[in-house]
Amino acid sequence: MELDKDNANPTILNPSDLPSRRRESSVKKREDGGTGLFDALVPSYTYLSDPFEPSVSSCDSDDDSVEDIDELEIYDLISSISDPEHPLSLGSLAVVNLPDIHIYPPTSPHSKISTVVVEITPTITHCSLATVIGLGVRVRLEQALPPRFRVDVRVKKGTHSTDEAVNKQLGDKERVAAALENDTLMDVIRRMHATCE
Amino acid sequence: MTDPSASSSPSTTPPYSLQLTPLSTLQPPSSSRTWQTKPHPSLPLVATACSDHTVRIYSLTSFTLVQTLSGAHKRSVRTVSWKPNTRGESVLATGSFDSSAAIWRRQEGVGRGEEDFTSRGVRSGNDEDDDDEEEDDGFDFTTILDGHESELKSLSWSPSGHLLATCSRDKSVWIWEEVDEENYETVAVLQEHDADVKCVAWHPEEELLVSSSYDDWVKFYREDGDDWVGVGGIESEGGTVWWVEFEGSGMKERDFRKAREGLSEGREEWIAMLERSGPRLATSSDDGGVRIYRRKPSERSGNAAASTGIPSIIRSFSIDEEWVLDAVLPKRHDRPVYSVSWSKRTGMIVSAGSDGKIVVYKERWREAKKQQSHEAETKAESDVQADGEQVTTEAGKKPDTPTEWSVVAELYSAHDVFEINHVVWAHRRDKDCRSEDEEVIISTGDDGEVKVWTLDEVVKA
Repeated sequence: MELDKDNANPTILNPSDLPSRRRESSVKKREDGGTGLFDALVPSYTYLSDPFEPSVSSCDSDDDSVEDIDELEIYDLISSISDPEHPLSLGSLAVVNLPDIHIYPPTSPHSKISTVVVEITPTITHCSLATVIGLGVRVRLEQALPPRFRVDVRVKKGTHSTDEAVNKQLGDKERVAAALENDTLMDVIRRMHATCE
Repeated sequence: MTDPSASSSPSTTPPYSLQLTPLSTLQPPSSSRTWQTKPHPSLPLVATACSDHTVRIYSLTSFTLVQTLSGAHKRSVRTVSWKPNTRGESVLATGSFDSSAAIWRRQEGVGRGEEDFTSRGVRSGNDEDDDDEEEDDGFDFTTILDGHESELKSLSWSPSGHLLATCSRDKSVWIWEEVDEENYETVAVLQEHDADVKCVAWHPEEELLVSSSYDDWVKFYREDGDDWVGVGGIESEGGTVWWVEFEGSGMKERDFRKAREGLSEGREEWIAMLERSGPRLATSSDDGGVRIYRRKPSERSGNAAASTGIPSIIRSFSIDEEWVLDAVLPKRHDRPVYSVSWSKRTGMIVSAGSDGKIVVYKERWREAKKQQSHEAETKAESDVQADGEQVTTEAGKKPDTPTEWSVVAELYSAHDVFEINHVVWAHRRDKDCRSEDEEVIISTGDDGEVKVWTLDEVVKA
C-alpha cells in the first residue's frame, strides 16, 4: 500500500478553504465512549413502553434531537478521516464534499428513522481503496451518530469504474458487520479515524 | 370508509384489522446485536444468535434465559437451526462469522421429554427452579463443522433432520449428512452463486434445497443419482435476496383456501393448480420488497411425485425447477427486508428489516365482485388509499392471479430506532396462552433484544 499508491499526486485543497463549523464554535464531543466497536454501534437501549406512542417526543430524553444534526456536522465528522494511502484528510482530498451529503427525514410521521446519504468521490476512477474509504466513512458515522440514523455511503455516480459493486458492498449490513470483526481491516479503519476529533 | 373505527383510531395505527401487542422482551437481553431467533420444533425454547459470539437459549414459558452457549465460536454467531424429528434429545446447529458451524446437544429425558418439559414449565411457574433444572443438564457442544472459507450466513436442517445445509460469503452451499452423533460427512459443495449466499431453506415435502444470494438470484438444488446438482433458479428484481422460506405443507386446509363453500369454478381450479405446484416460496429483498414464487406445475408435479424417490436413471422427466412470480406483497418497507416468515398455522406472512417495522400480510381472494365480507372491503379501501399505485401495478402485472395480499397489521419502531434482523412465528407457550394453537411473532434486533408479540383483533370503537 505504501509503495504502490493508486494516485501518487492527488489534488489537495487548502484546509482553511474547507467548510467547517468547528472554527465557529467549540467542537462538540460526541458521546460514544466505549472501546468495543459493537458497544459503540449499539448504545444502551431504554425500553419503549408504548410502541404506538407518537414517535418524536420519545426522543426528547436523548441529547441528540432531530434539529441538532445537519449536513455540515456530518461533514465535520468525516472530513477529518485520513485517506488510507496519503497522510491527508478526506476533506482536503475532496473525497468527501459538503454538497454530496444529504440528510433525509423519516419517510413517515410514525417513523423516527432519518437517513444520511454520503456520496464519496474517489481521487481517481479506478481507486481500489474506494471500498475501504467508504467503509471508514460508514463506520465513523455509525459510531458517532445516534442509532436513529441509517447511514448510506455511496460512490458518486460516474466517478468510479466499479461504483455499482462498491455501493452494493457498502450497503450490505452483513458484510459491514463482518468487516468490523476483521482485525486487519479494522486496523486500517482505526488509522484512518485516528485523525478525527 | 365503512369502518367506524377508522376515523377514531390513533394516528399511529392505520385502520388494519389486527395489531401487534408486546407480550414480553426476553430477559436478560444481549448487550450487543442479535441476529436471529429460532423456536424449538417442540419444546417452549428459542435459540438466539448473538454478535457476542454466544447463543442464548430462552424459555418461551418464563421469557427468561435458560442457558448461554459459548466457547465454540470466535466471532458473531449469525444463524441457528434446530434439528427436527429428534427423539429424547434436542440438537441445535449454529453458524458463525468465524466460518464454522457447531452442533450442540441436550438430552431430554427418557422418551417423550417434550410433554414433560411443557407441563413442568407451565405448572411450576417458578422460574428459578426451572432454570436450575435446565442448567444441570444443559446443551453440550459436540461437533464443529469446518470447510467454508468465510462467514457463514445461514444454515438449515432438512425436514427429516437427515441433512444440514450451510451457506457462506465464500459463494458456496454445503450439505452435510450426520454419520453419527459426532461425525458429519460433506455430501455436496454447491457453487451456483456468484457472490455471498445469504440464506438456505428446505422444501417441507421434498428433498429440494433453495438458496438466495447477494448476486440477486435464488437457486434450487436436488439430488440426482448420487450427486446434488443445481436445478434452476430465479433472478430477483429486488437486489440481494436476504431471505427465502417455503410455505408450510398442507396450507390449503388452513389459509384462504379453507373456506370452500360456494367457490367459483375458477377459484376451484386455482386451488387445484396450487396443489400441483406444492408449497410456494417467499423471498425478501434489499429493495424492501417481499415476493412470492410458485412452481410451474408440470406432468410430474403434485402430491404423488413428492415422495416417490424415483432415481433419475429410470425417471423420464427433467428435474429442473421452473418457478414463476406469484405475487408481490404490498410494499411497506423502504429499506432492506432481512427476514420473512410464513405462518404454518394461518398462512399469514410477517416481514421485518432495516426500517424497524413489522408488517403482517394475509392472502385472500381478489374481489372481482363486491361480495366479500364487510371487513375485507374496508381493508381493500385502505390499501388503495395507502399505496394506490402499487395495487394498480400489481393488477396490471398479474391480471390472472385470483388472489391478493393485503396488510393486516403494521407496527413502527418495534425495536425503538434499531434494525430488525429476524422475525418468525412461534407457538405461544406462556401460561396466558389463549388457545392451543395461538401464535406469537418473535423479533430479533440490533438492540440485542428478542421481543415476543401477540397478534390481536383491533377492538372496534
